[in-house]
Amino acid sequence: MLILIDANHGVPAYRQIVDQLRFQIASGRLPAGTELPSTRALAQQLGINPMTVSKAYGLLEAEGLLRHRPGLALTVAPQSVAQVEEEREARLRAALEPAALAARQLGLSKTRAVALFRQLLSETPVAEDDADA
Amino acid sequence: MRDVTSRDTPMLTAESVLSFTHVHKSFKSTTALSDVSLEVPRGTIVGLVGRNGCGKTTLLHHVTGLMLPTSGTCTTFGVSTNALGAREHARMGVVHQHAKLLGWMRVEQLLQYIATFYESWDVSLSQQLTDRLQLSRDGKVAELSPGNVQKLSLVLALSHRPELLLLDEPLSDLDPTARQDVLAILLEYFSARECTIVISSHLLHDIEPMVNRIICLEQGRVTANADLDTLKESYAEWIVTTRGTPLPLSWSEPGIVRAQGDASQARLIVRGELATRESLRVSMASRYDIDIESRALNLERLFPVLTGDRTTPPERAHAIR
Repeated sequence: MLILIDANHGVPAYRQIVDQLRFQIASGRLPAGTELPSTRALAQQLGINPMTVSKAYGLLEAEGLLRHRPGLALTVAPQSVAQVEEEREARLRAALEPAALAARQLGLSKTRAVALFRQLLSETPVAEDDADA
Repeated sequence: MRDVTSRDTPMLTAESVLSFTHVHKSFKSTTALSDVSLEVPRGTIVGLVGRNGCGKTTLLHHVTGLMLPTSGTCTTFGVSTNALGAREHARMGVVHQHAKLLGWMRVEQLLQYIATFYESWDVSLSQQLTDRLQLSRDGKVAELSPGNVQKLSLVLALSHRPELLLLDEPLSDLDPTARQDVLAILLEYFSARECTIVISSHLLHDIEPMVNRIICLEQGRVTANADLDTLKESYAEWIVTTRGTPLPLSWSEPGIVRAQGDASQARLIVRGELATRESLRVSMASRYDIDIESRALNLERLFPVLTGDRTTPPERAHAIR
């Protein structure tokens, strides 16, 4: 598990940790049961205040993405298929928003913008569609 | 090894380590602190920021009782600062901005001498710190470089394992590597025990990762006293770009605290929680023919907003409300 944050970014460090863990859980890179580093270990690794890590872990636990059982390390909680799908789409949407804005500011038509995205998808190996091709 | 306890450390309790109530301090005709009221709970790392001469050092002197308020009250560990005794002082570690150390002693001698004042002096911690900071114990204190004086001051402030660390510009004379070493040492010290740190600094990039509360002073007044994350989430920078119609010359919408730019593009600083900003964005998008790109502000970029600096370079001044 690799978390990289920029503590000098305007987006608070706890938020960056939450976003990255959500992404990694949604992408399947952190499957259910994966143990997370302790608050202190992650804080030390990132060079940040341990309370920032506690805050991020606490939020993810409250959202049901992480599970803490007394006496055991914090682990990734099992996710329902619907949850994972929703999270994946939310992450991609967030990544596409700036692209949509750029397309409009550049005066590209919707058709051209979508064609470019299709082209990018075909250049990058991605998961095959289940139904619609 | 499973680490089950560290998830909850350090504990944040309601107990205030230091407290100011309506504190005024004046020197003859100069007002150094003006109606300062604040509480710092145990387990906090406070970044004390503000422009030169804003009162940071004066505020720190009031915590240790080195200065007493002209009016108002200060307490540290629940004790009024005019009544602080050896017991309270032993619980504090202080790095002064311009440390005056006994120059004729060697580093080793000074460490041994200062150790005699503290029952809780930890010889092995002091050794570890001088090793990690690559501070030679043989040198004569008077001949130390400013950076090494600062390192030695930190070792002197930490080795009796204080519960409250007051650091006045502790990084200013250090090179970037030494600054990172000192910050790592402070974070480790903080993580290992329930303590409280107040660090004043102009090096906002350096302190930003470790502090969780910001106290900002401007001309002796507190202009911000908030959780760093909350501060960052309470402001945004909007890059506003027209889709055709020229942008207005001034922006009067509530929440816009700064504006600069021209008829095609403007940079706005917007204050308010995310939901408030979102409704402002929706209302502006319906009033004007614009695109809005929102960016977060880090501590360095929040600083002018927090210190109330409203001055703007003249070439961009036309858009200021």
